[in-house]
Amino acid sequence: MTTPRPHVVKDAKGKRPTFYDAPGLDQAMSMILVMANEISVLHDRLDSAERVAKAQGIDLAAGIEALVLDQPALEAREAWRQDFLDRLFYLQRKEAAEAAQADTTERFNRTIEEIATP
Amino acid sequence: MLNTFQQLTHPVLPTPTHDEAARQEFTKSFKNFIQQKLLPGLTPVYRNRVVPAFERAHGRPPADRRDIRSAMVRELYFQHYAAANRIAQELLWESTNVTVDRQLPELNAKAAELSAKTAARLDIPAGFVPPRYVTAVDIHCMPGGYTTEVAKEDISVGALYDRGVYLYAMGYMGPLNDDMGRSVCNYLKRRIPDFKPKRILDMGCTVGHATLPYKELFPDAEVWGIDVGAPVVRYAHARAAGLGLEVNFAQMNAEETRFPDGHFDLVVSHILLHETSAKAMPRIFQECHRLLAPGGYMIHADLPPFDLMDPFTQFILDNETWYNNEPFWGAMREMNQYDLAERAGFDRAEVRFDTAPMAVMEFAAQAAAGYSEEAATAVADREFAAGEYAPGGGWEVLIAHKSATAAINKDAA
Repeated sequence: MTTPRPHVVKDAKGKRPTFYDAPGLDQAMSMILVMANEISVLHDRLDSAERVAKAQGIDLAAGIEALVLDQPALEAREAWRQDFLDRLFYLQRKEAAEAAQADTTERFNRTIEEIATP
Repeated sequence: MLNTFQQLTHPVLPTPTHDEAARQEFTKSFKNFIQQKLLPGLTPVYRNRVVPAFERAHGRPPADRRDIRSAMVRELYFQHYAAANRIAQELLWESTNVTVDRQLPELNAKAAELSAKTAARLDIPAGFVPPRYVTAVDIHCMPGGYTTEVAKEDISVGALYDRGVYLYAMGYMGPLNDDMGRSVCNYLKRRIPDFKPKRILDMGCTVGHATLPYKELFPDAEVWGIDVGAPVVRYAHARAAGLGLEVNFAQMNAEETRFPDGHFDLVVSHILLHETSAKAMPRIFQECHRLLAPGGYMIHADLPPFDLMDPFTQFILDNETWYNNEPFWGAMREMNQYDLAERAGFDRAEVRFDTAPMAVMEFAAQAAAGYSEEAATAVADREFAAGEYAPGGGWEVLIAHKSATAAINKDAA
């Protein structure tokens, strides 16, 4: 049996202030900045990869600049970007679908009521 | 200037992975960005939007920092600034905590191993109760505060503080975070060259960042660091050992230490007073006077008082009180420290404020990693700007000299 590892305290004691009037915006801002942090980490990691490769005699950075994408690569990239944008804007996709089906909050609430009614 | 300052590693400092280090580095960059790019915008927002609106509403301009605050908190620009500051602080601890958590039992074992090898003392008494002003909230939003232990012989919050404060200070405190102690030491060397203290006490030492330079400058002196947090003094002891310095550490309250009267020639503190309370601060001054031998010096390096600052500057500085879990930050600046020193037994004529120049140029001279001449000069030559980390050029220090003829017990608290 292994001894459970100790863990640090994750959150600071003391009521967190809110900065914005709009509900949820404080949370959204912190999430956006965590994402920005991770983008910065990814950037640093790629930069490190280029520098390590260069130290091994492979000039990855120059190779990247000189890279000419062939047709399969162009297609793979564009597919990735479209897929990414589709996920990024999933709420708009959903909104459009609801509009297309003339779906409403009223219909949703009515459905719950109907299903719950014996 | 591009701030590329890098912390110097030592045996008990947590070791980040590549991505953890990059994540932490970002929080330092983000703080720098907030202070260089977002902070300056507050002045025109205040002058050109907030003041006219306040005058229209109240028929008078804002009178003090409380008026300014009540109006500024409704400005979206300020909301973004303050939220960004707070989030940067949270990310700084979070990104460091991940590294500490991953290595925690190994770090605790390493600290115990280092501590066992040094002749310096580590005194952590059973049943010590830390004062409420450090346990009521986690100061500067550091999860766990100074006192929480999550394992036996735990140093986790010490490790968190060591790395986190380096990021908070954006490296301005030097590769070993010791600029404040180093600056006061340099000041003593230049201004009181004949002063050779035999025993030195650093109050509220946390992990001993500022404590170690005293041992370097006065290698024959007996140096003690005290703090109310057991894990931070435990870490301090191991850290000093890892850096090859014999410095003693103890868990004690600066209001009421366990040392005898007249035991020290020099009693110092660095960024301690603003983390205490209105009740504790006079007691700390009294304790300093009790502990000093005749002819000794008390030096507190902390936040300068509000009285010489305009209300807008006060308002900017006071944001730490409201948004960074620093309950005494603003109120401390309103305490009359001359009165406190006099009431503690010091002769008022022997109490003064002075500036101890930052030691940042020394780090460039030593070619410490990332401490370019250009970046160090930019820090040393700055003008004071409220809301930036550290005043331009130097630390404000309160210095009190205990009369050489004073009876040791005269004003013992």
